[in-house]
Amino acid sequence: MKEIMGLTKLFINESWGFSKFLYNRTNNKKAFYKQLVPMIIVPIALIPAFFMYVSFNIALYAGLRMINQTSVFLSVGYILTIALIIIFGIMYILSEFYFSKNIEELIPLPILPRNIIIAKFLSILVFEYAFTALIFVPSLIIYGVGEGMGFVYACLSLLMFLTVPVLPLALLTVLIMLIMQSASIKGRQDMLRIIFAFLGIALIMSVQVWFGNQMGNANNVDFQNLMNNLLKNNESLLNTIGYFVPTSLLLAWTLNKITFMSLVWAASSVAINIIAFALMVLVGKRFYIKSIVRGKIIKKGKRLSQIETQKALGKKSHGVMAIFFMDLRLLLRTPIYFFNNVSVFIIAPACLLISLSFIKLTPEDFNSIRNFYTEMPILVNFMLIAFFIFLGATSAATATTFSREGKASWLTRMIPVSSKDQIIGRTGVAVIIESLGIIFTLVGVYFYIPLTLLSLVLTVVLGIFGSLPILLFGLFMDMNRPLLDWDNPQKAVKNNMNVVITLFVGIAYIGLLLAVSGLLGYFINPWLGYGLFSVISGIMTLTFYKIIDRRLAVKLLNFE
Amino acid sequence: MLKLEQVSKTYGNKSEKAVDNISFQVYPGEIFGFVGPNGAGKTTTIKMIVSLLAPNSGKIIINGIDNQENILEAKKQFSYVPDNPELFEKIKGIEYLKFMADVYEVPVAARQQLIEKYLDVFEIKEVVNDPIGSYSHGMKQKLALVGALIHDPQLFVLDEPMVGLDPKASFELKKIMREHCDRGRSVFFSTHVLDVAEKICDRIAIIKKGKIIEVGTMAEIREKAGSQESLENIFLELTE
Repeated sequence: MKEIMGLTKLFINESWGFSKFLYNRTNNKKAFYKQLVPMIIVPIALIPAFFMYVSFNIALYAGLRMINQTSVFLSVGYILTIALIIIFGIMYILSEFYFSKNIEELIPLPILPRNIIIAKFLSILVFEYAFTALIFVPSLIIYGVGEGMGFVYACLSLLMFLTVPVLPLALLTVLIMLIMQSASIKGRQDMLRIIFAFLGIALIMSVQVWFGNQMGNANNVDFQNLMNNLLKNNESLLNTIGYFVPTSLLLAWTLNKITFMSLVWAASSVAINIIAFALMVLVGKRFYIKSIVRGKIIKKGKRLSQIETQKALGKKSHGVMAIFFMDLRLLLRTPIYFFNNVSVFIIAPACLLISLSFIKLTPEDFNSIRNFYTEMPILVNFMLIAFFIFLGATSAATATTFSREGKASWLTRMIPVSSKDQIIGRTGVAVIIESLGIIFTLVGVYFYIPLTLLSLVLTVVLGIFGSLPILLFGLFMDMNRPLLDWDNPQKAVKNNMNVVITLFVGIAYIGLLLAVSGLLGYFINPWLGYGLFSVISGIMTLTFYKIIDRRLAVKLLNFE
Repeated sequence: MLKLEQVSKTYGNKSEKAVDNISFQVYPGEIFGFVGPNGAGKTTTIKMIVSLLAPNSGKIIINGIDNQENILEAKKQFSYVPDNPELFEKIKGIEYLKFMADVYEVPVAARQQLIEKYLDVFEIKEVVNDPIGSYSHGMKQKLALVGALIHDPQLFVLDEPMVGLDPKASFELKKIMREHCDRGRSVFFSTHVLDVAEKICDRIAIIKKGKIIEVGTMAEIREKAGSQESLENIFLELTE
């Protein structure tokens, strides 16, 4: 047990960098404050979002009470928590078990493999508890207060809270371990990681599709009968949800009404979690360690002939293109970077279109949309421009451009490439992947609104032009605070505050700019609106470009 | 070729200098060895020379160019291979070499000829189309060496170059270093292998706790130490 706790502490320390934080407190004040400030600011910044989430939960509870369906309230919170645990868990599990290099240092030590597996699992579980506390505990409190529950409910709630992340995380770990050790995927592990990440998203989208269908079907039944049924049977919704996520029934039966049976259901829930945990340890011992000691399998390229080598060395490229292709290759070939920085351009338009596809439109509705566009093209154009810029801001391609290079950044810092080439090459990558999202979006939008050529040109040009200040701001942030000291690439993106800062500042800036330009264009003259938007975007782009151009060479000297 | 004038560097704790007011010169055609105990300031000095760290004070002139004032031009004068070359794991060896040739603006004919030559010398031709992530430490070092030699730099800077190389590659590298200097260029390298430093260096500097405690040819160092012993023995006496 002592060994497991020691290892767990080690893994958590490694993930969070506590030792370095404490070291910096006495030895490097500048680095210490760089770490400390976001640790204070980010939680404060998230308070309004948390407050909104709690308010939504209270409203949901009140709504369910009106239709006599409060029994489903805890299950909804539980399912939401589990869905989020699964989505984030995929990357955490891959990161801790497969990306982290500490396993290679631990295997030669006289430590039981079981203890390493348990400690790794526990270190992920700690994060998930923090997450569950924020997402699920409000539901437990709202329900407890709303139903006037007492001490036993509080104790059982605590017990159920402790079990919530264990089952999904254990089963997910088992699934990942089984797939990762499969012989048929030799040399394809990178691709597999991307597939896993997309599967997580597919799961969420499937849930959305399912709910969409249910809502669609609801239109066909007698609404009065449905309401009567809901009001008569206060567990009808719960039973429907329980059919899809059986463990949500255990939770509901334990906490909805406190009886002697609650204890039995709670014990059953704990037993199921223990079994899942044991299964994870068993599979880990059988497959995980084996897959590590088997060695890293990387797909090799074919041997090049002299002519092929010369062809591959190709013709001389400009510094901009050298930086551009290097950055693009890293982005596309590193699964975590691909998923975080590129996939959003496929997923966001897809989510938008799937959501739209559930709105059943009649030919009259289509006509109304088209009429709206014909009468007020400026509003549709600015909405599209806003969406394109939002895509640019969320990609974080420039906000992590130096961070993604990590310890290999010495190379791009040492080479004689001008700041201008660095800026254009790195921003170019972000623009290219943003363009991918623009194309997907426009193809989807075309089914609803046949945009004119003028609208197409305006939205694409201004969408890209308007996102340049945000992309450059991201580059500016990463130039000033690169996160280079990481042992797995997940940290370069997920632990990087530049991403969050760029997103918030970018959205605030563009919201303001679009509001002013849109109002000017709508009330006075559309071209005045587009003109103002272009001029301000141009000035901001130029300003950031000049600042970065002047400072980058010196900043590259001070990355360490 | 390389001139350091009163260069100092401190990290977080301002009272402790990692490099303390050092000055020395490396002349054209010279292999210059830089030796010292662990933590003496060798890597910090090298990083300041190759523009990976900014000194707190002092000047570093490379081939007549101040590397703080004209950073880009100074960078064109040298190439550098660190002791543990971390390279982009997802990139193929050949892509890395093309990248290096592009950023140093090496003409097509020259890049093809030099890359072919050095891939043969370091025996990594067969793996050059594989991702760097599949390379061993030594292979990464060999690839970094080929990448650094592509543009035939005026100053070749190496941090512990022999660590990780097999005996043949080590032998070839020493030969390349000598040929490089014979063409009027210079080599500056740090090492803990004092036998190598003694055999191939034209001049040597010994650094201890951030200060240069000795610079000169082997003969000069022996004379100053009043001993005809090996560099290893003199080093041990000086750094005790």
